[in-house]
Amino acid sequence: MSKFKGAVITAKSGTEKTIIDMLEKTIDKGVFDAIIIPMRVPAGDSFAYVLIKDKSLLNDASVLPPTMFVQGAKAVSSVTRLGKGKTKIAAVMRPCEVRATIELAKLGQVDLENMTIISMDCPGVLPSSDFLKDPEKNIKLFNEAAKKLDDTIMRPVCQICNKSSMVSGDIHIGTLGAKKDAFFFISNSEKGEKVANKLGINLKDNIDSWQTKVKTISEEKHEKRKKAHKELKTKVGGIDNLVETFSHCINCHNCMRVCPVCICRLCYFDSDKVKHPADDYLERTESKGSMRFLPDTTLFQMGRMMHMSISCVSCGACEDACSMSIPVAQIFSMIADETQALFDYVSGRRLDESIPIVAYKEEELHEVEDAND
Amino acid sequence: MERKIGVYVCECGPNIAEKIDIDKVIEEISSNNDVAVVEKYKLLCSSDGKKFLEEEIKKQGLTHLVIAACSPKEHEKTFMEVSENAGLNPYLFQLANIREQCAWITEDKDEATKKAIRLIRAAIGRVRYHSSLEKKEIESNPDVLVIGGGIAGIEASLQLASPERKVYLVEKTPELGGLVTNFEKNFLSMKSLSEIINSKIEEINTNENIKVFTSSEVEETVGFFGNFEIKVKQANSEEDPIQFNVGSIVVAIGSTLFDPKKIPEYGCGKLDNVITSLEFEKMNKSGKISLKNGKPPKSVAIIHCVGRDEKGYCSEICCMYSIKFARYLTDKIPSVKVSNLYSDLCIPGKTNQKFYEQTIGKNVNFIRSSDAEIIKSKDQLSIKYNDENGSKSNLIVDMVVLAPAVEPAVDASKIAEIIGISQGDEGFFEEEHEKINPISTSTEGIYIIGCAQSPKNISETLIQSEAAAGKILSSLIPGRKIEPEVKTSQISEALCIGCKTCLYVCSYGAITFDESKKISVVNEVICRGCGNCVAACPSGAASIKHFKFKQLYQEIREAVK
Amino acid sequence: MTKVLIMNKNTEQGVLEFLKFLLENKKVKGVFSLKKIDKKGAVAYSLITNPKDLEDAVPFYPLMPVNAGNLLSRFTLNGPPKEPIAAVVKPCELRGFIELIKREQGSLENLLIISSTCGGVYPTKLEIDGTVEKNLSKYWDAVKKGQILNDIRPACKSCEEFTPYVTDITVDILGKNDLDKQCIMFLNTKKGEEIVKSIKADFSDNKIDGSKLDNIREKRGIEKKKLFEEIEKKMNGIDGLIQIFGKCISCHGCSKVCPICYCILCEFESSDSEYGPSNYETELRKRPGLRVPPGTLYYHLGRLTHMGISCVACGACDDVCPVDIPVSMIFKKVGESVQKMFDYIPGKNIEEEIPLITYKKDEFTEFEG
Repeated sequence: MSKFKGAVITAKSGTEKTIIDMLEKTIDKGVFDAIIIPMRVPAGDSFAYVLIKDKSLLNDASVLPPTMFVQGAKAVSSVTRLGKGKTKIAAVMRPCEVRATIELAKLGQVDLENMTIISMDCPGVLPSSDFLKDPEKNIKLFNEAAKKLDDTIMRPVCQICNKSSMVSGDIHIGTLGAKKDAFFFISNSEKGEKVANKLGINLKDNIDSWQTKVKTISEEKHEKRKKAHKELKTKVGGIDNLVETFSHCINCHNCMRVCPVCICRLCYFDSDKVKHPADDYLERTESKGSMRFLPDTTLFQMGRMMHMSISCVSCGACEDACSMSIPVAQIFSMIADETQALFDYVSGRRLDESIPIVAYKEEELHEVEDAND
Repeated sequence: MERKIGVYVCECGPNIAEKIDIDKVIEEISSNNDVAVVEKYKLLCSSDGKKFLEEEIKKQGLTHLVIAACSPKEHEKTFMEVSENAGLNPYLFQLANIREQCAWITEDKDEATKKAIRLIRAAIGRVRYHSSLEKKEIESNPDVLVIGGGIAGIEASLQLASPERKVYLVEKTPELGGLVTNFEKNFLSMKSLSEIINSKIEEINTNENIKVFTSSEVEETVGFFGNFEIKVKQANSEEDPIQFNVGSIVVAIGSTLFDPKKIPEYGCGKLDNVITSLEFEKMNKSGKISLKNGKPPKSVAIIHCVGRDEKGYCSEICCMYSIKFARYLTDKIPSVKVSNLYSDLCIPGKTNQKFYEQTIGKNVNFIRSSDAEIIKSKDQLSIKYNDENGSKSNLIVDMVVLAPAVEPAVDASKIAEIIGISQGDEGFFEEEHEKINPISTSTEGIYIIGCAQSPKNISETLIQSEAAAGKILSSLIPGRKIEPEVKTSQISEALCIGCKTCLYVCSYGAITFDESKKISVVNEVICRGCGNCVAACPSGAASIKHFKFKQLYQEIREAVK
Repeated sequence: MTKVLIMNKNTEQGVLEFLKFLLENKKVKGVFSLKKIDKKGAVAYSLITNPKDLEDAVPFYPLMPVNAGNLLSRFTLNGPPKEPIAAVVKPCELRGFIELIKREQGSLENLLIISSTCGGVYPTKLEIDGTVEKNLSKYWDAVKKGQILNDIRPACKSCEEFTPYVTDITVDILGKNDLDKQCIMFLNTKKGEEIVKSIKADFSDNKIDGSKLDNIREKRGIEKKKLFEEIEKKMNGIDGLIQIFGKCISCHGCSKVCPICYCILCEFESSDSEYGPSNYETELRKRPGLRVPPGTLYYHLGRLTHMGISCVACGACDDVCPVDIPVSMIFKKVGESVQKMFDYIPGKNIEEEIPLITYKKDEFTEFEG
């Protein structure tokens, strides 16, 4: 039996249209004052999150766009980082964006008090460079692939994502395991129940078919993930392979800047701490004969990994933004799995779970303490 | 302004001169272009040496000073004073330890010389990036917070209070006095305790330099020796916590008893007339020792060491008070038969043995035993036990008094966290050193006395109260100035993103969060410069004065070049 | 007339030999140049102190993974090197460096600057899939003839500032037919002349072929006109800009790789540019919706305002943009129109102050009351 409460919603006019109608209703009834949801940009070549007040704009909104142009958590954070305000907001995002939002709440970058988070089963998302080749065509391709649960055209990290239906927010739209022309409205919190109440939705239905389908898919993906990580490790494992993997990296730091959990105003690796006198660089060079300049490309990658992998949600924004086509997300996501597993932690799973870095437990990790203790 | 670094190598008598080729060192170091002068001197810490340095600084117009000599623990302060006297900010100075870390531990002179050169180069590399830092001075607060209004806290308060020194005494329960108020007499002298304790309480209440808060608890303490900020919450009060400042804290929250119900064999809580020592004291104080049926007991067994195995330590006082109990009984019920079942008898000190010997007799029997088990035997109690030889024995009595182990007070963990002191394995507060510093904690200015530190009797408690008072009286002198840490942390307002990671790792409560700016802010008076926040901040928004990244980086670079 | 050094060998070989000479004879402590940094042949700028490592140096490789102006600035930011370093950089990289020096972000001291007339570079994307390596001979062919290749950066196709200023040594490359047989290095400064003494080569006095270069400049001008027209059509007021920058994801990569953007913490990333709840609530009173995070276009307009005066139109911004916005053409166009107003060519003359900080009383009187 599941811990969620759910209702079956008939969607004769299609899932997306029905959800949009629901959202319009919430504005009408004053449940929400504004909704953060993707909309297609005027030029039609991308999508952007818009904080919508006027419900008429919802007609042009997209619940599940084919690209993740900006990580949703960044959009939500930009609205509530400095406080919650009086506006009651709902944010519609993919599960990994929701998880990043929860992580950001733990880091003081998002105020969730007046925010209701809505997610949906995610089929993956297209790499933005592919999408940009032909936006119109790719919207169609994406929608078709989503229907068939075909992830071969999605981001590499999406193809091995086993958390595509993870519920960390307040409301989740379950499309898997639903009958034709229907979906599940699933509530994960009091906030979710309140919304259902206001919409006249009775959360008493059986959602077992969703649970079962989700379980099956996530187990399949988990196997795929393990295999992919094993292969990736042989490719990038060891310092030589690692340096080679990042040989094209130009230190543009795009990956860091699009990452939702890289929140530092000034990255350590952009600060004066990595700016050394000329002779220091020359001395280093002399010890090797020649040295790439600027050096420490791999150090940046490792440093970033050390700082954020405990909170990495494997969304893949970094890989999309990489100007040199390095498989950053695949590598970071693989390491993040292991870092988080050390603490039995899944980033963004629950708001009341502290990020392990700031939670001291005396009885922990004894196996890596001094053997002589 | 151009840098002029002066480097002075101390020969330290033969200590350094014989182990290191100082001339070679000077030759090597002179090749740096911002090193204005490199010289050696026989003994820089001597008064001549200090004069020489002061003159050199002025004569050469030095902007930075490096001294290669002994350990900073020895003479860093000395040379900082010299700098200051010469008009050079004392923080534009770096001491390279070429004695303890080089001359004294390196056999080969060549190796020692090479290492000394590296150490001095490292010091030069570091000092180049030093900034002037200013000392701060604040007045130390002579007042004292005493937590716990039992005999320990009361005595400490009375010893400390004076017109120049206020004492704030905070007691959780509605009354002062603590456990001692339950005892009719104290062992050894068998004198009435009520008079003693009541007169002390009277003294407290009439002393205008002692402010008493009953039914109150300490909610927060932030700060350090000479400057603690305290918040006290009164129970059942809607009002904001009371705030005041003190210079020192005495923790005297006492103890509680191990719960014998945890050992079902004793039947406590199940069988009638099986009571704890505290219950017995209260019964005795009320005037009448009686069974549940109201009649006086004809035979009583007192079981020592209840819970000793479970706790793993001896609680020091139980044997003595058990002897006292035998006295209570024989005094009040002349024909009573008392049996003390003990596993070990703890009667140290110059008079305790006599007290014991004068108690045992016709009607008081001390039996060495183990594994006692109590069951109902008609309207009496049957105690099964193993005697000295291991044979099974049996004793039938009317009443059983259990002497449970003394445990830390129920609030010990909570108080430990609020005050910021640690608990030992047994849960009692941890002293700085069990032998040579038994009432100090690792936090300067915070003392632990009485049973909160370890189980003990009244006279030992009073000794500790006086000891704490002595320490405070001599170190926290009214009007004295204290210099808070100079090398504190700073958090850049422009760079802080408000993730609070630094806040979570600060052990001193020195970082607060500014809700309107959404940034973390360091209280430089409370900050101890430990560096946790700097290590925790991923972006480097937090930094420590005098331990800036560049300073350390260059020091290390020069050392390993 | 300038003193010229001539070597009868392939230009790149000649330069490499020259650099080797400098290292071996300790005329410089190190060399800064593009180099193949691993077995796979990835190309990146490197510092070289061992003459043997020059074997993998490719100083004129048609690639600009990072604008070297940024790198030279970082190298000299905390003071010049104690001993001389020779640096081989492209003209726009050098101009970027000079603009940074004017802002105290570097120094020329102890640097021997070597540059060349430039045939342009390929977008970095083409390095990853091996296209650049494959097209090398085609590239050099076109360079010899002074032709504009189709697949180089748009900024390069339309670049009229392909002749370096402020160099100690300029290598003749663009439009030089006998690149394979002869290496000609113009020694523009005393430093340049001094350092080549005792090298095994011929010397003469010569002048760079102005008409050849004017010809090439004309062709580039025509490309520029074409590309400007294209972008002008799109830059149709605010609406046009919204169309162009609609897909911008605010990664700020353009700023990070730009040689002129030197701020430690960009204004548009600081707390100054953050919206609080009251800002949002105010905005939502005025309009039906607001894109979040806000300020996508504002950032670009701000950046234009801050650095347009010094934009050297290198095109690094184009390469780094993950969503293929033609940033370099927009910034080049706006940058040039601002620079024209002051007759200012960024990076040309190190003595020439940045117009922003130069007050001239008799200027822009046409805009006054």
